[in-house]
Amino acid sequence: MKLGDLPIVSTVFEAGADDRVFDLLLLLGPLVIGLVIVLNRSLLTEALGVAYLGVFVTYVLYRGIH
Amino acid sequence: MNRAVATVGRDLGRILEALGGLLLLSLVVPLVWGEYFALPALLVSAIVPLGIGRVLYRRFQDAEAPGRFHGMIVAASGWFSVGIFGSLPFLLIAWSVQLGVPGFAVPAQTATLAAFTEPLNALFESMSGFTGTGLTMTDNEEVLPRTLQWWRTFSEWIGGVGVIVLTTAILSRPGSGSLTLYESEARSEKIHPSIVSTVRTIWWIFILFTFLSILVLWLAGMPIWGAINHGMTGLATGGFSITDNSIATYDSVAIDFGLLPIMLLGSIAFPVHYLILQGDLRNFYADLQTRWVFGYMGIGSALLWGFLYFGGPYETPFAALRYGLFQFVSAATCTGFQTAVNATNVALGRWPSYAQLTVTFGMFVGGAAGSTAGGIKLIRGLTLAKGIRHQIADVFYPESAIRRLEINGRRLNEEEASREFMEAAIIVILWITFLVVGTFLLLLTLPSGEYSLANVLFEVASAQGNVGLSSGITGPDSLPTFGKIAFLFHMWIGRLEIIPVLVMLRTIFKRGGFYE
Repeated sequence: MKLGDLPIVSTVFEAGADDRVFDLLLLLGPLVIGLVIVLNRSLLTEALGVAYLGVFVTYVLYRGIH
Repeated sequence: MNRAVATVGRDLGRILEALGGLLLLSLVVPLVWGEYFALPALLVSAIVPLGIGRVLYRRFQDAEAPGRFHGMIVAASGWFSVGIFGSLPFLLIAWSVQLGVPGFAVPAQTATLAAFTEPLNALFESMSGFTGTGLTMTDNEEVLPRTLQWWRTFSEWIGGVGVIVLTTAILSRPGSGSLTLYESEARSEKIHPSIVSTVRTIWWIFILFTFLSILVLWLAGMPIWGAINHGMTGLATGGFSITDNSIATYDSVAIDFGLLPIMLLGSIAFPVHYLILQGDLRNFYADLQTRWVFGYMGIGSALLWGFLYFGGPYETPFAALRYGLFQFVSAATCTGFQTAVNATNVALGRWPSYAQLTVTFGMFVGGAAGSTAGGIKLIRGLTLAKGIRHQIADVFYPESAIRRLEINGRRLNEEEASREFMEAAIIVILWITFLVVGTFLLLLTLPSGEYSLANVLFEVASAQGNVGLSSGITGPDSLPTFGKIAFLFHMWIGRLEIIPVLVMLRTIFKRGGFYE
């Protein structure tokens, strides 16, 4: 079974961005926010938040440059 | 059966079904927060629009696709219906707490929640939410049940993109007149040839930006519940808050500056976001509206900073920058978050009149067309400015000269230029007319001498521009009943850019029925 065959994942891949990185960010967004809610503010959750934003900004700039 | 009634009834039914679905989805919130007393009220609030919507849709499902006239009626009546049915959670939860719910522990009633036992206050809050205005009938948002805090936020988030855009994305079939409805909701931009693909693209961009906004605010130091709510209402340029003093409650420089890019994102058109996400970063300056979002916000903020520092209430350049920049961006993006309050600095209503009028001008113009922002929209302001310059310059050319008006990379001939200029002028004139009439009527109904002309003009512009900043007039007790009804109308016409509402009212009052 492929990742794209899973129920929610397939919906996001189908109706989402047609771009695997943005699709991944759409799927991971609720998970990161969910972890923040469950684990509260900690080094781990802050690092996750920064990484999420960092991936988005870096990827947009990368696409812009290429 | 009148064919127009069938078409409108079918699409109105779809909109109400979507609203019922949103309310059902919101049942998660009282379950998570343990506010079980809110469950029956929320369930009834969901079932009513869902049931009516289902009946309408089933009854008229074979109706013809909507034309331009039907589209406008659907948009106007749909938004008004959503305002009415969206008020049910406020009304029913307030009465649940007031009277108690058998079998459920109910918290003590508060003055803030009790205000929603008045149907007009509940309707005002709902309409303010869905139109993305943010003016509120609450005294202290912090004491509201989490369920209602969420419903206020969710209504603004949905309303920011559009009720019809939502309905089209999840319920519409291709070729069912979706484009006509979409255009009637003050949108004309298309990202893809298919309108269903376009609205789905709008939604994934909006959802992705929502996650980013929530994390930016949380990293800036906001608690996660606040970050979720303010991230959603900030991006939707709505401005509802879950705290008593809006963003000023946090009194944090990081949060103030963290919200600026979120509000700016909300005021940029979705097709431009799409192109930027595809890697075409030139759109930040190549697109006329986006260029002006930054230019106009920069000029307005600099002007306001000057007024606040050299002639106003702030003693340090940084304080004037912090509050001036935030309030101008908040106004011009039509968000309505407030950091200038008496609790931490100087309230907007106590700023010098010229500073208040600068903010009012920001609310009047608003953000880019095709974004979540209100106001007359930048493109109309620019079309008018360029058109006027074109007309004046015409005098200096020979009569035989062929001149073209250039707007956003398009070279318009005489006829096209005239048409676009006239369309922009009609909206602006109507906008100003309703602003002036509303200001006059509110001055008549408010207690004499309590508010200045600048205060009243500010408040009406805020309602009509779907902004939500307040000079202190709006409140359950301070705003007279007539003012609340007038503001409902201002918020409604502001969100739909006036014309669809006038078409619907003309249909009702002049013809006494639907056109064939």
